[in-house]
Amino acid sequence: MTLHQRRFETVVPDRPIGRLDDIADGHSRGFDPLGEGRDTMFVVRRGGSVFAYRNHCPHYDRARMAWKKDEFMNGDRSQIMCSAHGALFSIEDGACTQGPCLGLSLYPVAVELRDGEIWITEPYAPGFWRERSA
Amino acid sequence: MRIVGPDELVFGVDDPAACRSFLADYGLMEAPAPDGAHFFEALDGTGFTLRRRDDPALPAPLRTGSMLRLTVWGVEDQASLDAIEAELSRDRKVDKAADGTLRCQDDAGFEIAFRISTRRKLDLPAEMINSPGAKPGRPANVIGANQDAEARPRTLSHIVYFVPDMDKMANFYIDRLKFVVTDKFNNAGPFLRPQANWDHHCLFMIQTPEYMQGLEHVAFHMQGPTDLMLAGSRMVKKGYESFWGPGRHKFGSNWFWYFNSPLGTHIEYDADMDLHDDEWEARYADIQPETAQMFLFENVEKWTPGGPPPGKK
Ligand code: FES
Ligand SMILES: [Fe+2]
Repeated sequence: MTLHQRRFETVVPDRPIGRLDDIADGHSRGFDPLGEGRDTMFVVRRGGSVFAYRNHCPHYDRARMAWKKDEFMNGDRSQIMCSAHGALFSIEDGACTQGPCLGLSLYPVAVELRDGEIWITEPYAPGFWRERSA
Repeated sequence: MRIVGPDELVFGVDDPAACRSFLADYGLMEAPAPDGAHFFEALDGTGFTLRRRDDPALPAPLRTGSMLRLTVWGVEDQASLDAIEAELSRDRKVDKAADGTLRCQDDAGFEIAFRISTRRKLDLPAEMINSPGAKPGRPANVIGANQDAEARPRTLSHIVYFVPDMDKMANFYIDRLKFVVTDKFNNAGPFLRPQANWDHHCLFMIQTPEYMQGLEHVAFHMQGPTDLMLAGSRMVKKGYESFWGPGRHKFGSNWFWYFNSPLGTHIEYDADMDLHDDEWEARYADIQPETAQMFLFENVEKWTPGGPPPGKK
């Protein structure tokens, strides 16, 4: 077992990652559910719905996507943007619509709203450190 | 052909406010620009022009949606400009603006322009270091660690394009504009410098599928590694996303630190790049993590050693 795996287990977090109200409508926000020191996922809010993805661009290994803390969207907030090379993704299904990741999709995170709180509902793997064999 | 280097990049962006605050925080200074445009410059006057994506003053976009709309190369003098005009007019339309600037497309379809370089000549100190066995680089009582140093980008350093046919594009710059190959990643592309610039690279390209054509990154030179670290840590502190670095490249030797940007490209700080003259013989290697960098770090929050462990007396 590797060092990071001992420290950051793949788990279903036992508390919500945040509240719907923390995200302005139409905006995005990064989260760090396992406390790795980096936002390893982000959530986009559309009215009462949320869409959650890992903060990994399918273009490069472990590429982080925002250009600034919580900024995961293009100018008019109609799509998700990777600010590394400008790939655009549909908010609803994460499919790339333009740029380096055409044919690929963002990695979804299963989330659920309970009483205005955002919960991850499936096992969540660490995202920051690369897998390394012991 | 005495091309000096990239003088200006023109972008058509969809979030001008975000781009302006990013570039100001990166360390470029806003300077006067024509109506509808914003210009951000390094210390020598090289820099970026921003316009809205749909601004009719911009050259046509690439079909890929890249925000880069034009690359302006500076040349030494009118004779160089005339030579470029004569050479490129042989097989393409070259437009000439009232101020003499030439405009055309390269063989990959990127919009390019040439003008007598508007770079201001810099006369600034290098980073000064002390090294045992060598004469002191800084006189006694001169402090090296200056938290308040301006750490501003000095000049536009290099551009890296994604391009569907790397050889076709490279050959255009080599055969037609007399760029020199300094080193080459066999499975990516050649590092190129124009004749009037000894920097290891002003131009590099990475082969990609057609739907990716655009910019991989652009870089500005900093005074040295310390300014690079200082400027990069300030970016991190403001919440910007570090993409790769800080580290030091092998080919070119330059220190690097790349950041994501709302311009849809990485913007890099670099420092202490190798210089090469015509005596240099190009090296060849396959691109992989081992050849791309000597070492690589990740920034973490500031910390300082103290006494006993927390909670112990
Ligand atoms: S890493 Fe996201 S577009 Fe390249
Ligand atoms: Fe670079």
